[in-house]
Amino acid sequence: MGKRKEHYAFILPALIALVIIVIFPTIFLWYVSFTNYDLSMGWEKKSFIGLENYVYLFTEDKDFWHSLKISILFMGLTVACEFVLGLGIALLFHRRLWGKRLWMSFLIIPMVITPTIISLIWKLMLNTEYGVLNYMLSLFSIGKVNWLGYKEAFWSLIIVDIWEWTPFMALILYAGLQSLPQEPYEAAIVDGATSTQIFYFLTLPLLKPMIIVALLLRSIDALKIFDVVYGLTQGGPGNATELMSLHIYRLGFRHTNWIGRSSANAVILLLISTFLTMVLLRSLRKSQKGGSDFA
Amino acid sequence: MHKIKRKRIFKNIILDILIAIVVIACIFPFAWMVMTSLKTRVQTIDPSVWIFHPTLENYQSIFQKRNLFMYIKNSTIVVSLTTLISLILGTFAAYGLARFRFPRREDIAFWILSLRMLPPMAVVIPFFLLGRFIGLLDTHILLIIVYLSFNIPFTVWMMRGFIEEIPQEVEEAAWIDGCSRIQGLFRVVFPLILPGIAATAIFCVIQSWNEFALAFFLTSFNARTVPTTVTFFLSVLGVIWGEMAAVGVVATAPVLLFALLVQKYLVRGLTLGALKS
Repeated sequence: MGKRKEHYAFILPALIALVIIVIFPTIFLWYVSFTNYDLSMGWEKKSFIGLENYVYLFTEDKDFWHSLKISILFMGLTVACEFVLGLGIALLFHRRLWGKRLWMSFLIIPMVITPTIISLIWKLMLNTEYGVLNYMLSLFSIGKVNWLGYKEAFWSLIIVDIWEWTPFMALILYAGLQSLPQEPYEAAIVDGATSTQIFYFLTLPLLKPMIIVALLLRSIDALKIFDVVYGLTQGGPGNATELMSLHIYRLGFRHTNWIGRSSANAVILLLISTFLTMVLLRSLRKSQKGGSDFA
Repeated sequence: MHKIKRKRIFKNIILDILIAIVVIACIFPFAWMVMTSLKTRVQTIDPSVWIFHPTLENYQSIFQKRNLFMYIKNSTIVVSLTTLISLILGTFAAYGLARFRFPRREDIAFWILSLRMLPPMAVVIPFFLLGRFIGLLDTHILLIIVYLSFNIPFTVWMMRGFIEEIPQEVEEAAWIDGCSRIQGLFRVVFPLILPGIAATAIFCVIQSWNEFALAFFLTSFNARTVPTTVTFFLSVLGVIWGEMAAVGVVATAPVLLFALLVQKYLVRGLTLGALKS
């Protein structure tokens, strides 16, 4: 090893491990997506069918379009609500407050609890007959809501996701607020800016890099969600909550064993999340050059 | 003047109430789970019961009838080994990316970070098929390897941030004293980044302990981990809520304790090492 190549000794072990663990299986996934493989047949019996699985998804599989549509809807709604609520909570905490550290440590609970456990707690709380939520509503003489019914389940799922991840947004945005420079604020106050103006023309633009990172991280996570949905509804009732990951699961493992078709759907999920990841990394690199709060 | 002061006190009370609502909303589901785990079977389906004699029968039954201990053992083996391997490989790579200048360095770093974003359901199919070919399905080894796919990228980014915070001069002083780069890394850098290593390890433990999708498809009986116990409680008729809640308390207690320890680095950990606070 020469002096100029010394860094290889440090980074190669991890890189080789990642290529073997991630890149090779991903290539394998692409390969399977072009075959008619199915779990019930022998591996040597499969044949290469080109783009047929993709054609099937786009033309014949109505549930695929449904899962794509509600995945995007789920992503948009949860991320938007979590951002607005999270910013509100961050602003609430951004002042002098007795016992602030203690109150903020409670915000950690939703995001570190095991997601499958979260889904079960909520399944109990949302139960129509003996769930604590309907019990509380009954105290205000509001009738029973069938939270996990065909029409309502998707919205309940969104509520659970908002509960789980709003604190995450709040903590990141709070950290952002804490690190803002003081000078522009002093100048704005001297110039007689109202607090609304200060918020729109100072705080939001200064927070922008952090906001973008937080939004993209959440979007990618919301897109690939599986665990909470599986625990709460398993994609049902019917296919009311069959998001993309759940559809892949149903095609490949649950009813049909169509691994080929399921792989094609997994490739599409991979492409969408890769696209979002590229956008995220680009914005990270841009703000890195600006040398703000980024690593 | 008096009026303004009154207005401000009133506003502060409103803000305090809002904070109280937020905090209660975060705690309530967890508290409800703890309560449910201490209720008898009849009480669990009566949401009007808030004060009662706690019973430990649910905890007894999950260890005796459900064999929860096996799941905890499996989780512990998988989590500790995947964390250890990630820390070793990831910290070295992080050092290489932090201390050397070489072409495409940032491209490599960001490519590594991008792997952390992979959807589990997109990679689970090839892992499942390959696992079947080499006969590793339902083994600890397969899960340990698969979990490296998100733990190594995470470790690289977290540790790179911690190493960059240590001034290079500290190492240079050691080199002048005759240390090689590796010796300097072990004797000078490691002791300084110990808190960072601990925090990174804890984050790896939390995310591996909580992982469900991969564990669910790649194990069937012997190597089942704690989150997969969700399948006990999915039957449409008569979920045993007390046992469910007891499993939930046992599964989440260690994670919550760990999370409190790394509160200082939480924002950094949650943003995968990309943001510092």
